[in-house]
Amino acid sequence: MKMQMKAGKRQKDFWFNVGWYILIILVMIPFIFPLVWIITSAFKIQADITAIPPKWLFTPTVVNFKRVFMEQDFGRFLWNSTVVAVAATLVSLVIGLPAAYSISRYKQNFLGIFVLTARLMPGISFLVPWYILFSKIKLIDTYTALIASHMLVVLPLIVWIMINYFDGVPQELEESARVDGCNIQNAFLRIILPISGPGILTATTLSFLFSWNNFMFSLVLSTYRTKTLPIGIYNFVSYAEVNWGSVMAAAVIIIAPAIILTMFFQRYIIKGLTVGAVKG
Amino acid sequence: MNRSKGINIERNIKWIFPLPTVLFIFLMMIFPICYTFYISLTDWNIASIIGTSFIGLDNYIDLFQEPRFYNALALTLYFTFLAVGVEVVLGVVMALILNQDFRGKNVVKFLLLLPMVATPVAIGLAWTLFYEPTIGLANYALKILGVPASEWLASRTMVIPSLALVDIWQWTPMIALIVLAGLASLSTEAFESAVVDGANWLQILRYVTLPLLRPTILIAVVLRSIEALKTFDIIYVMTAGGPGYASETLNIYCYHLSFGYFRFGAASSALIALFALVLGFSLLVLWLRRRYEV
Amino acid sequence: MAKANGRRSICILLAFIFTLAIMTGLGPVSAAETIRFVAANHPFHDVIRPLIPEFEKETGIRVIVENYEENQLNQKLTVEFTSGLSTVDVFMTRPLQEGRLFFKNNWYESLNSYLDAQTPAVWNWDDFPESTKQAVTIDGQIYAVPIATEWHTLFYRKDLFAEANLQPPTTFDELVAAAEKLHNPDAGICGIVLRGQRGAAVTQFSSCLYGFGGDFIQDGKCMIDSPEAIEAFKFYGKLLHAYGPPGVTNMSWPQAQALFASGNAAMWADASVLIAGIIDPDKSVVADEVGVAVFPAGPAGRRPYMVVPWGISVGAQSQNKAAAWEFILWATNHVNSKKALLSGLTVARNSTWEDREVVSELYPGLGESSIESGPVGVPYDRPVMTAVTEARDAIGEVIVHAIETGGTGDIERMAREAARKVDRLLVQAGEGRE
Repeated sequence: MKMQMKAGKRQKDFWFNVGWYILIILVMIPFIFPLVWIITSAFKIQADITAIPPKWLFTPTVVNFKRVFMEQDFGRFLWNSTVVAVAATLVSLVIGLPAAYSISRYKQNFLGIFVLTARLMPGISFLVPWYILFSKIKLIDTYTALIASHMLVVLPLIVWIMINYFDGVPQELEESARVDGCNIQNAFLRIILPISGPGILTATTLSFLFSWNNFMFSLVLSTYRTKTLPIGIYNFVSYAEVNWGSVMAAAVIIIAPAIILTMFFQRYIIKGLTVGAVKG
Repeated sequence: MNRSKGINIERNIKWIFPLPTVLFIFLMMIFPICYTFYISLTDWNIASIIGTSFIGLDNYIDLFQEPRFYNALALTLYFTFLAVGVEVVLGVVMALILNQDFRGKNVVKFLLLLPMVATPVAIGLAWTLFYEPTIGLANYALKILGVPASEWLASRTMVIPSLALVDIWQWTPMIALIVLAGLASLSTEAFESAVVDGANWLQILRYVTLPLLRPTILIAVVLRSIEALKTFDIIYVMTAGGPGYASETLNIYCYHLSFGYFRFGAASSALIALFALVLGFSLLVLWLRRRYEV
Repeated sequence: MAKANGRRSICILLAFIFTLAIMTGLGPVSAAETIRFVAANHPFHDVIRPLIPEFEKETGIRVIVENYEENQLNQKLTVEFTSGLSTVDVFMTRPLQEGRLFFKNNWYESLNSYLDAQTPAVWNWDDFPESTKQAVTIDGQIYAVPIATEWHTLFYRKDLFAEANLQPPTTFDELVAAAEKLHNPDAGICGIVLRGQRGAAVTQFSSCLYGFGGDFIQDGKCMIDSPEAIEAFKFYGKLLHAYGPPGVTNMSWPQAQALFASGNAAMWADASVLIAGIIDPDKSVVADEVGVAVFPAGPAGRRPYMVVPWGISVGAQSQNKAAAWEFILWATNHVNSKKALLSGLTVARNSTWEDREVVSELYPGLGESSIESGPVGVPYDRPVMTAVTEARDAIGEVIVHAIETGGTGDIERMAREAARKVDRLLVQAGEGRE
């Protein structure tokens, strides 16, 4: 009797697992498919890209990538995007993490909302005033102007994600550190920050992505020296034709580093989740 | 000596910690906000021969009588509610799934995060090709499934849902990520006691997980809604507000006023209106947060 | 102690980043004279860019080139010029789109004195056709040098026409007949594709408008509600509604071009320069079957548009105007115009077109259509006014409505409303009369 029940349960478990995996795959397909399509299109000639019925089998070509790197300065764009995204994220973390902690701990809601306000203004409103401002202090076409503009996007994001995260961190941790003789700054640096890994990594990932993909500010505040990747992709949308192959190749080049970064950080996110120093 | 210095910093830490952030934001924002507001009180139009003059609130009065403004407002709200609504539901589900243990979990996690990293302009161009009624893959897929073809972006009724679909595809992972981080900071006590009390997974979900996640979900909703209300890149690339004005959201309308028609005065008033909308919305959600925080 | 160390290292890191950023952002100031050329993604830029080292060697002037998609170009230039602090020296511009606007705001450097005093005779301003010179002149001030001409062309599928025993249509009636015969939705082929997107469609609609004897503006008043114009709206709408592709109201030229290139349209009428995307076998599956014809004649005759879409100008806020002018002279001289035409760009210079060697390299039919369109061509494809984008949107609304209702909707009323809107814009800009 017992054996039969066990076997029955095992069978049920098996089908349940299969169903679960099928569900996962079904959920994944619509999310992945467009990206797969973009990546494969980057290796097709234009006629194949717009073909209907879609050409699943085709002769791959690297002419699009060649064109993207050689005819346009994509190497430079890659560098510029990286410098700006890294700097904007880093500086925002340095000034944003303490701010988030203070707002969370001391319930400074007004400051929190003020920080959020920066995200509320539509990007267009900044274009002309910033151009005037940065031109007057001769910072146009420098990384500083770009970094500052990207920080306005990224800083509130980091602050708000971390406010929420710090809200979940029990205050006893800080208090016990202070009992041991630390002041608040030390408690923050040595106790709270190290266990905030998952939150910080989420905030960092999102902020890097927002900066990496920013288009409008980079269009206006940069000239040829500091041009970033998203502007580069429009290089293939020209007056007389849209070079779809190159657009797709450029898209792949823009997306690839972001993907690699996500992959890298993601491993740390997992680690942070399983360590769970906060729990218990 | 050391001690008094220490106490001073400590007592004021609540001001020192946020100071650089607040100062930075203030400096970067104050000029543009004042500038935009000032311009909105003028009739600055670089296409007209009449010089610019101060006209007070006339721009706002005109704006509130302009049917195209209300069209833009309605479309903005429609798009946002549709997109964010679906994203939140899907995102929470995704986060809960990703929080489980199963084989291949890391691969799935990675793959599901990918749409978010793609550059909006590239995505917009690609999806435009998908949605093309004759040579696009979307109708091809519908044909295979035996569903009648749609005009997608060219249809006045389908254009907003089509655009929302792209937004949903791209940003659901962001919600999932934020909720996932929130799940990570939850203490396990509540879960453990629920299991001890004999609750099954559905009950744990309803009575423990979701309530604990509420503040996190709310943050995700606020952050995502702010972005959604201001969505620009994909709409601009895919339809530029068309067909007719059927997808002209407030931000696109502002863009047309500024860089299409060069009516900077009118555009500034519309920008202030958009700002007020987003502000009002955020305050509303945050007030709800305070209200339900026990 | 540890805390101080931690904070110190953060400070150092910050300082390092900022220094790096500022340093790498500002390069060493070049001793040679440098000019900034802001271009659009356009065949002209594609031709000129690789030739620039020649210019730099000849003159010792360094040229920094930036290129943008045309709408972003407009946006960027507008922001820079509005601030009054722009450093743009040379830029590409669209006389019909932003010419009046930029002129009104004094953003163009007037070229009259340069043409008189600082131009070698051999460059020859008179080599440019009179109509193109007029296209870049406002109130007697020349503000740009024309770099291309463009006209309404009919592209058709030679294979489909041969199968159906058809000749390329020469009148509007023949056009409709051909579209009807070749319209085959089951095979995924539409009879004809034309732009249907709100503002974009206006330029392609213009030839229909002229073909029925209508016009955009006459004596400072908008004529888009005249009986001829209404006929044109109905014609355009009916044609696309019955024989156009699904989703045509969201189509501008990239979508129409992609559709034709993938073999899903029997005919396509649009600007001549767009031929590039359909005769390249890498981009088009029908590359071998493209026929080129003149745009057909309407009841009022054959009146396709023939315009100067792009010119090149000197920025009024530039600090290097003499050098900028030298660059323009070089980029548009005989030698470079010939190179441009050889690579497919339909330049403005007369002498280049008279060069047999060059014309014979053109795609068959293109040269002929240019010659035939020349004498009857209308030099504008949109209302000539400052607030042209807003006017295009207003007129485009009527076009979209006509397409959606197949020409049966309340066209008269909508056209009247659009005409009143455009009238208001004209008056505001001082270009209309009450």
